[in-house]
Amino acid sequence: MKLSLAARALFWAAVAVISFVTLFPFYWSVRTAFAFPRGVYSHPTEFLPPEPTLGNFERVLGLVDSATSVRLGGSGQTIHFFVFLRNSILVSALITIGQTFFSAAAAYAFARLRFPLSRQIFGFYLSALMVPGIVLLIPNFILIKSLGWLNTYQGIAAPAFLMSPFAVFFMRQFFLGLSRELEEAARVEGAGRVRIFFQIAVPLSMTAITTLAIITFIYSWNDYLWPLLVGKSEGVRMLTVALGVFRQQGAQNLPDWAGLMAGTTLAILPTLVLFLALGRRVINSIGFTGFR
Amino acid sequence: MSRTKRVLIACAAGLLACAIAAAADPVTIRYTLWDSNQLPAYQKVADDFMARNPNIRIEITQMGWGDYWNDLQTSMVAGTAADVFTDHLAKYPEFAAKGQLMDIEPMVKSDKVPTNIYLKGLADLWTRDGKRYGLPKDWDTIAVVYNKDLAAKLGITEKEMNSMTWNPANGGTFETVLRKFALDKDGNNGLSPAFDPSNVVRWGIAMDYSNFGAYGQQYWSSFAASTGWKFTNGMYAKKYYYDDPRFIQTMQYFADLSRKKGLMTPYEALSAQNVGSTVLFTSQKIGMVLDGSWMIGFYGGNTEFKVGFARLPIGPVGRRSMFNGLADSIYIKTQHPKEAWQWVKYLGSAAAQNVVGSYGVVFPAIESGVQAALKTYEEKGLDVSAFTAQALEKDGTFLFPITDHAAEITSIMQESFDGIFLGKVSAADALKAANQKVNALFQ
Amino acid sequence: MAQLVIRERSKNTSLVRTGLHVREAGLALVFILPSLAGFLVFFVAPAIRGLYISFTDWNLLTQPKAVGLANYVALLSDPDFWNALKVTVFYVLWNIPLQTVLAVMVALVMNTAANSTLLKGVILLPWLMPNVVVALLWVWLLDPTVGLINVAVKALGGPLLPFLSSPGTALPTIAGINIWRYLGYTALLVFAGLQAIPTDVYEAARIDGANDRQSFWRITLPLLRPVLAFVVVTSVLGSFQIFDTVAVTTKGGPINATKVFNYMIYQQAFERFQMGYAAAVSMVLFLILVGVGLLQMKLLRAGEVET
Repeated sequence: MKLSLAARALFWAAVAVISFVTLFPFYWSVRTAFAFPRGVYSHPTEFLPPEPTLGNFERVLGLVDSATSVRLGGSGQTIHFFVFLRNSILVSALITIGQTFFSAAAAYAFARLRFPLSRQIFGFYLSALMVPGIVLLIPNFILIKSLGWLNTYQGIAAPAFLMSPFAVFFMRQFFLGLSRELEEAARVEGAGRVRIFFQIAVPLSMTAITTLAIITFIYSWNDYLWPLLVGKSEGVRMLTVALGVFRQQGAQNLPDWAGLMAGTTLAILPTLVLFLALGRRVINSIGFTGFR
Repeated sequence: MSRTKRVLIACAAGLLACAIAAAADPVTIRYTLWDSNQLPAYQKVADDFMARNPNIRIEITQMGWGDYWNDLQTSMVAGTAADVFTDHLAKYPEFAAKGQLMDIEPMVKSDKVPTNIYLKGLADLWTRDGKRYGLPKDWDTIAVVYNKDLAAKLGITEKEMNSMTWNPANGGTFETVLRKFALDKDGNNGLSPAFDPSNVVRWGIAMDYSNFGAYGQQYWSSFAASTGWKFTNGMYAKKYYYDDPRFIQTMQYFADLSRKKGLMTPYEALSAQNVGSTVLFTSQKIGMVLDGSWMIGFYGGNTEFKVGFARLPIGPVGRRSMFNGLADSIYIKTQHPKEAWQWVKYLGSAAAQNVVGSYGVVFPAIESGVQAALKTYEEKGLDVSAFTAQALEKDGTFLFPITDHAAEITSIMQESFDGIFLGKVSAADALKAANQKVNALFQ
Repeated sequence: MAQLVIRERSKNTSLVRTGLHVREAGLALVFILPSLAGFLVFFVAPAIRGLYISFTDWNLLTQPKAVGLANYVALLSDPDFWNALKVTVFYVLWNIPLQTVLAVMVALVMNTAANSTLLKGVILLPWLMPNVVVALLWVWLLDPTVGLINVAVKALGGPLLPFLSSPGTALPTIAGINIWRYLGYTALLVFAGLQAIPTDVYEAARIDGANDRQSFWRITLPLLRPVLAFVVVTSVLGSFQIFDTVAVTTKGGPINATKVFNYMIYQQAFERFQMGYAAAVSMVLFLILVGVGLLQMKLLRAGEVET
């Protein structure tokens, strides 16, 4: 579309505003992450990091001992960053693989296979999007406990591993939009549904599946309350939960702002990397999601 | 090596192995606390304990305040709560009433554990109807925290800070000090007749309104109590006195202080949570604040100016501070009650509390622990006598009010205080209505 | 691949049911079983248990006591409940229309000029941060005295903006924080919808003499409807269930101005130990959401969800 000069100026102004509003809080969080805690509290509005230091990152990464941590403004607690990072990667990957695969399979069935009550069951699935999470929390916790899965990877991953209503919804819409010709052709040649699924439907929908996988990964990565309750022990604690140590420590305390921002900056990095690596695909395909 | 020797060594090794095996099979006691600042101290206490009790392992988990209670309650439902956990005065009555806490009175009696070694009044806070739910481990009081450098610059002497008087009618010398700290946009301080209360750049004091709850521990409780007013008439009381004229007058005083006189940061100028008066203080937008002794470490290390701790203002009946304290409770469904008791007993002993004190993060409940803490604070260059003097002064403290329905009362009163300090309703109207609602809970 | 869903729908319903039906049922079961199993175990069973709990008086720690409909009767006369309803509805009204309009505008901006991956990446960034940290960060930035925004406004001579510290502005502020978080994600969904509209449709309109504005209202919006419908439905459902931001920033205040449903339920369950009552309120919220969902599907003629 050809644009007049005025329109182009307006366009770039809009881009500038959008980028600024989006990025400024990130800048602020990074600026705080590089500031010495005392500086954060004494100069809350200074643009550049007051008393710049790498100390917060050192604390978050567990590179300093207890005494040094206190000197750097922390609480003296040591953090096994890489252990928590590993846990987060494992659990998120586990959930992503399971949820994506099983949801895609179910979605394919809803989209392509004819069977009784298919519309009703799908409607039923959708209703799960409407149940307030808090009601599910305690019964699920008791269930995981009775399975003996507390403080295990499988315990944390279990509820999300097999299904998510959003994922099924998402993939179904996509499968509905796929052209049927290839599948019909394969049917004519005698291929079974299962083979069609794996050899035609899945490859054709790789972008949508990748998108779903990224969305699921990021969602699991940032999940807080469930992993907190189920994954308390250090061996399975996830990174976002572990970063809770920087939040309020007492009834009337402040969060450890500098540490919290440093921790968050580091915690976003893996998702950012994942996103950049597969980013093109996601961005260009995120649209093929729900509107087909 | 001769054969005999080898046999002897083998036998000895065998016996040793048996002995170790018999003693091993260590019991693990899970212990939780919420304050990460205290974790290093308690880890050391645990290490000492484990050295003395080789067959008991202490596993400490720390979770921040909000997460701590969510997790504890969910675990209680599932029966997987920690064996021993740090407990809080506002929360333990509910847990006790619902049978989640172990009564340690029988063990205290049979092991002849002395309960008079703690600062006065603390031990009783954890008892109800002859049952005991914890041994005190620390305490806190409130004092005035002020910007020493700024005070010096403005000509406010240390003596002045430590001898403020207050009354709900005219604010006493406390208000005078506030006026000295306050500054408006044109450079007039609060004493000047040209002071513009609607264009203040530095206030005298600030309070975190949305954290008041029902008790306002480090905010207004000292002032209200210094008029002779009391929240209730005793532990587990069934009646509150928020409609008492002295209390109403106190709250109206502070509402006017912020909304009319411009000496206290008004509601709309403070963040609801997580930032609040503390950051206003460190960034020098206010001259002083009231706070609890748990914040000493924070103020000591996070300001670019010297911080002073001063005595509370003297009210109509004297100085009063709320006296609060924590204890460790045993979960009723613990698999190892004996070992849990050993750990709790140790935590309540001078040996543990001296260690905790020496880390200088909190005041232990036993006198010797307090001395250890004072020593550490001194080494850090902090004079914290304002807090300890208040604790040791006769009638200097009043106990944290313990009643049932704490959560609902907090909701009711918070709503009420929000209205008062937003200027939407007078203290008299709001508090009379609220007190009725509160007392109705006990019907 | 610019098939429209409406076309899709007619295609499906015209297929003849054959004997394939029965065989496909067995196959379908294989495909669906894991997902269905997860659904039954982790959603349906707890939800049913929640329903059961809503008919009891349960404080989480002792045995539940059956009380029939008492909880439901109680909530009808509970000012807290009606306040939560009002607050939540207002929140959704503050949040969704503005977010949707902004998303469309941002999507249009992206659609107008070069398809920049960088720009798309930038606007997706807020979505990568955990909810809780986003809220904390904004509390700091929005602080009325030490937050950068108010400092800047004051320097320019403006008034104090209380944001989260005043009952009138707290709820819109929370809506604003959430819009910041989800705008990029929503805009990208709409953007892809825009991209799927074939350009020849615009060409034809131009030839017929339509200007840009007419194009937008007569062509773009209608063709965008399925996307918008999906976006609005899922956003509204999510918006009704907001919790994290409120829990971190205002805890329901000031004067209950931000006590949304989920926060009220949380307070009842975890602070007041009234799990039965909390479950009853949850059930009512569920029914409201089902109603809202169905209404939306009808109103938006959501071709996007039909089989």
